[in-house]
Amino acid sequence: MTASLYEPFLEATRNVFQLMLDLSDISDQPAEEFVCDDELDISIGVVGDLVGEVIYRFPHTTSLGMVNIMSGMEMSSVDDFVTSAISEIANIISGNVLTMLAGNNLNCDILPPALRKPNDSLEYTLRTACCISTSIGNVFLDIRLNQA
Amino acid sequence: MLWKDKYELGVSIVDEQHKELFQRVDEFMRTLRSSASWDEKVLHVNETLEFMKGYVVEHFRDEEEYQQKIGYPGYEAHKKIHTDMVNYVLQVSAEYESSGFNEQLMQQFGGKLLAWLINHVAAEDQRIANYAIEQGVTGVDC
Ligand SMILES: [Fe+2]
Repeated sequence: MTASLYEPFLEATRNVFQLMLDLSDISDQPAEEFVCDDELDISIGVVGDLVGEVIYRFPHTTSLGMVNIMSGMEMSSVDDFVTSAISEIANIISGNVLTMLAGNNLNCDILPPALRKPNDSLEYTLRTACCISTSIGNVFLDIRLNQA
Repeated sequence: MLWKDKYELGVSIVDEQHKELFQRVDEFMRTLRSSASWDEKVLHVNETLEFMKGYVVEHFRDEEEYQQKIGYPGYEAHKKIHTDMVNYVLQVSAEYESSGFNEQLMQQFGGKLLAWLINHVAAEDQRIANYAIEQGVTGVDC
């Protein structure tokens, strides 16, 4: 189950990066590969057949690179504009994952993106993390879900 | 915000409107992101915001008409995506005005709009084109 959850997230991230950013050289790395001091953490809550959250961690260089590509403008800091654009991308990736899960008879909904670090006091049976590496930087996914 | 050929649906009126929409959103964003202080640029931001907003509504309506004309089966779902976005734009605009033109609200709005629009045109709207090609009705203009 954990492996089958990881795949749709990887696949959706790959599709969105290809479609929206024209980045196609995307690979997944062990989660330990992720090292970063400054990052944007976006949590997408999940409700329905699965309950919990998925945290997307974007290092600042990745966020700035993504928004530069989308806007055609040079962004110098992760401000309200950049944070909001990246939150929407986390929302879009998660929405695409839901469509894939629904094809496997798992019906879920997502909550609006929230800026927060994960709540480490909660227990999850479906817990997995991965690091997705692209030519403009890494993205780290932390999946924390329970079956309802 | 760069227009890319891959966004083209092959329906000239929708494609022309998409290009115009990208241009207006780009103009709004360049104003929003310019290095001038908020006080200096707020009037221009508001002008380009209004110019862009009116066009969004007009374009969504025309694109929906086109979908109906070709019998696009995803019409209802697509229309709901448009309606939700228009409602979001109206809600932010109302909040923005009553806040006395708060900059943070507008920066957040701009960022979301940027990502939303690229995904909508590159993914959702492409489904309409795929259907039109499948059905052999690409020649139908709205
Ligand atoms: Fe549309």
